[in-house]
Amino acid sequence: MPENGGFMVAAYVAAAVIYLSYTVYLLRKGLRKD
Amino acid sequence: MTPTEQAERTLRRTVPLIVVAVVLVAAVYVRALVFTPYEMVQGPAQKIFYIHVPSAWVAFLAFGIVGVTSVVYLFLKDPRLDLFAASTAEVGMVFTTAVLVTGPIWGKPIWGTWWTWDARLTLTLFLWFVILGYLILRTAVHEPGQRARYSAVLGILGALLVPFIHISVYLFRTMHPMPVVLRPGRPTLPGEMLATLLFGFAVFTFLFAALLRYRYALARLADARAHAEAERADA
Repeated sequence: MPENGGFMVAAYVAAAVIYLSYTVYLLRKGLRKD
Repeated sequence: MTPTEQAERTLRRTVPLIVVAVVLVAAVYVRALVFTPYEMVQGPAQKIFYIHVPSAWVAFLAFGIVGVTSVVYLFLKDPRLDLFAASTAEVGMVFTTAVLVTGPIWGKPIWGTWWTWDARLTLTLFLWFVILGYLILRTAVHEPGQRARYSAVLGILGALLVPFIHISVYLFRTMHPMPVVLRPGRPTLPGEMLATLLFGFAVFTFLFAALLRYRYALARLADARAHAEAERADA
């Protein structure tokens, strides 16, 4: 079996960063009172 | 209850849904990484599929919604439809970005290259740029009716790309794998892998719905505050 686990981890981390960043951005925008 | 209070209440009520969605995404990660067997030919990189494909499904769903909502807006001219389409486009853009980032990370070990100007990849990148244009257009046009009309036309054009992207693997010579679930006939995956993929579809769709509900409530809130401000200025 090919050893490419690093790519798997990189993809999962990248997706988590994208989704969590946007989620935090939205929630912070919702908390702003202006 | 005023429109401002309604939007604020929706925001408060959607936060728990977003928290549940994030926990469920973590569950998809655990199921995919720990409890789903490796595919022998591609090895661990094949598991990228469990986040890439559901992200692509949601991205296409989002732009389908943008297209339908935009068509209905052009008939009804209801500003809520415009706000809903814009909110959907923004959330859909996030999922498309995830598709365009995770795809090349899979492509490098499997194809030997990060990117190839293959029909499906190129059309997906093109869709990303159309939606980027859609979001930029909305900040550039200030008259609400005009902004909504232009956005609706661009939203419909973006949505027209979606079916082409899906069938591009049949229309063109391509390196991209064929569909394994949304295809004529039965899915071609072994049971455990299919279960993980379907779980991913359900969870990413739920995440999309929760984020969209929140984003739309934010748009309604901004709109309500702008109206209240205008009324105060008139008084």
